[in-house]
Order: sequence, then structure tokens, then C-alpha cells
Amino acid sequence: MRPLGKAASDDDRPLIERVRKGDQDAVRALYERYFDRIYNYVYARLGRAEDAEDLAIDTMTRSLTRLDLFQDQGVAFSSWIYRIAHNATIDHYRRHGKVTLVSLEHAPALESADPSELAVEQLSNEDLHAAIRDLTDEQQQVLILRFFQDLTAAQVASILGKSVGAIQALQHRALGSLERALQGRAVN
Amino acid sequence: MTPEVERLERLAERLRAVEPYVPPPGAKIRGWNLVLAAVEQSNRARSRVHPIRRLVLASAAAAVLLVAGAVGVSADSLPDSIFYPLKGVLENTRGALTFGVSDQLAFHLDLARTRMAEAQAMFARHRVDLADQALRALDDQLNDAALVIQAEKQTDPAVGAAMVNRLSQAIATHDAQIKQARDRAAQALQTADKPATSNGNGNGSPAASPNGNGQGNGATNSPHPTPKR
Repeated sequence: MRPLGKAASDDDRPLIERVRKGDQDAVRALYERYFDRIYNYVYARLGRAEDAEDLAIDTMTRSLTRLDLFQDQGVAFSSWIYRIAHNATIDHYRRHGKVTLVSLEHAPALESADPSELAVEQLSNEDLHAAIRDLTDEQQQVLILRFFQDLTAAQVASILGKSVGAIQALQHRALGSLERALQGRAVN
Repeated sequence: MTPEVERLERLAERLRAVEPYVPPPGAKIRGWNLVLAAVEQSNRARSRVHPIRRLVLASAAAAVLLVAGAVGVSADSLPDSIFYPLKGVLENTRGALTFGVSDQLAFHLDLARTRMAEAQAMFARHRVDLADQALRALDDQLNDAALVIQAEKQTDPAVGAAMVNRLSQAIATHDAQIKQARDRAAQALQTADKPATSNGNGNGSPAASPNGNGQGNGATNSPHPTPKR
């Protein structure tokens, strides 16, 4: 997997202070640090490059122009920006309806509906993305953040406002649901 | 590890291996231009708002300081001060918030003392008109005190009698002070007139009375109400 850039961390704080003072280089640094991640996150949620581009730009604009609303009290900037992205995604769903537009026509046919025989190695990336978009909102978030964004359970817990234990349980259920969704796709 | 956990672990590993969606370079450049424009606009808007907000805050602070200062100054102001009317307003407010017969009596006697001090100051500055005004206000306070006592005597004669004593002492003190102040003022006027009478031109004028009408105020007679015993 190609890395998405430096992971979000406490390193954001000095940059945020500089942005608040009007430092354009700091704005650029935060943009470079987060744009690809947010684009990836939104794309994984929506499945459309055009929408992902617009929503990623919208998320970056909102977060970098409204830093006065961000209070670094327990919630990291990275969590805050993912929440903005999540809200933007939900708004998008409300406006356009939740539809999966990624075509599965060219996906390789799966051989069996038996979970024990599901050949995960043969699954295409598009299969996986499409199956994830069939999951519940929270299950999608936890899988995308944990496995596509490579965030720790603690970071995901902060973004979703849940405990680490709850995230681990949610992750287990989400993987089970994904497995079933993939089996369903194989049968169809 | 159970078979289910093993399967899910394999699925998780497969998810980790998924290539991330990477934005096209054009999208990233377009995004940066839009973000930069929005940030610059936001900064401009903020810099326009800040001076206005600062001005409003500074004005509010100045107004608070001005009012607090005026209140502070007025507390010690004298009848010839521009802050003196504010002192009256503050005293009226204080009076409205004074409850209980004893407190009301204390309030009126306190104001009477204040008026006395003002009259003395005005005599010292040869502002006899303002001194007389202060003395009339002193009379008003003592009259009010007498009314408070009269009401109290009907409900509790013993307490009323004690209050009469307090008022009598205050009146006696004030009478002595008034006499003293007027004597001093007359003495000062005589001293001021002496060079004029001894300048040898024979046009010296007689010593003026404190109130300017040449008749004096009859300080020997107490102007104060006598409490009814």
C-alpha cells in the first residue's frame, strides 16, 4: 500500500498556531499533509472521483478558514478534519441520495458463497470498495479509517467519539459484515 | 485463533493492501488555489472586523471608566462642582435602599453631616449662596430625621426617646459648627475689607454681611427643627 503521507499527530499544533497568525506556508503544509488523506477518505465513502475532489476541497477550505472554531482541547486537529469530511459526506448523501456508482461489471467472478472458501486474495480493490459502501455508516468509517487511512484504534475512537474498545468491537462486526457482503456479491 | 478470526484477519490484511485513491495532480492544484483564496479572504475579513471590535471594546471600557470615575469623584464633590448633581442622585439611590427606622435615622444624620461639611467648605470659599443652600438641605435632612423619630415614638416610645437624644445632639453640634463657620466667614470678609478702608481715599465700604445683604443670617438663632419631646 502506498503511504498517504505523514500521519496526523500533535505536530499539527505549531502549524495551526502559525495559520492563525496568517502564515501562508503553514496553510500549505497542513494542506499537503491532509488533502490526499481526505480525498482518499471521501472517495472511499462516495465512490466518485468528481465528488471526492469537490468534497475534499470543501473540507480543506472549511477546516483552514474556520480554525477559530477549533479548540485543541482533547480532540486533535486530525480528528476534527475527519469529522468535517464525514459531515460533508453525510450532507452529500442528503442532497444526492446514497448511491453506489462504482461499476462491478468488470470485477472477477467469485467462485463460492461459503465464507471459508472466500478467496480474499482474489478480490479486486473495486470489489472491496463497493462492498464497504454497502455497510452501515459507522462500519464504513471504521474500516476506511483503520485500513485505508492506517489510523490506530485510538485515533479512530477520537474521530468517532467512541472508546477504543467500542472501535475494536465495531471493527470486528464491520469485517464480518464485509465478509457477508462479499459473499452476497459472489452469489449474485 | 478460531477459523472466523483467521478469516477476518486475512480480510483485514487484504484491506490494508488496497491501493489508496490518489487525487490527480490537477485536482490538488485546483484545491490549493481555492483553499488559498478562501484563507486570504477570511484573513482580510478578520482584519477588517478586528479594528472595529477593538474600537467598540475601547469605547465600552472608556465609558465604564468615565462613569466609575464620575461616581467616585461625585462622592466627594462640593456644591460648586459639576459632579455635585450626580452626588444627589447617588444619595437618593442610597436612601431608597435604606430600610429600618434606625438605619433611616442614621442615613439622615449622615447626610446632615455631609451638608454641614459642604456648608463649611462653601463659607471658606466665600460662596455664601451655596453655603446657605447646603444649610437649607441640612435642615431638610434634620426634618426628615424628626419625622422618622415621630413615627417611631408611636410604636416604641423608649426607642423614640433615644432617637430624640441623638437628634438633639446632632442639632447642637451643627448649630455650633454653623456659628463657627459664619464667624470665620465674617472675620475673613472684615480682613479682606481692611486695606480698602485704610487706603486713605475715604471711599471704604462697610463690612459686608455673609449673604451680601448687610443683615447677616442671625446665626444665634438655631434654624433647625426642635424635636418634639
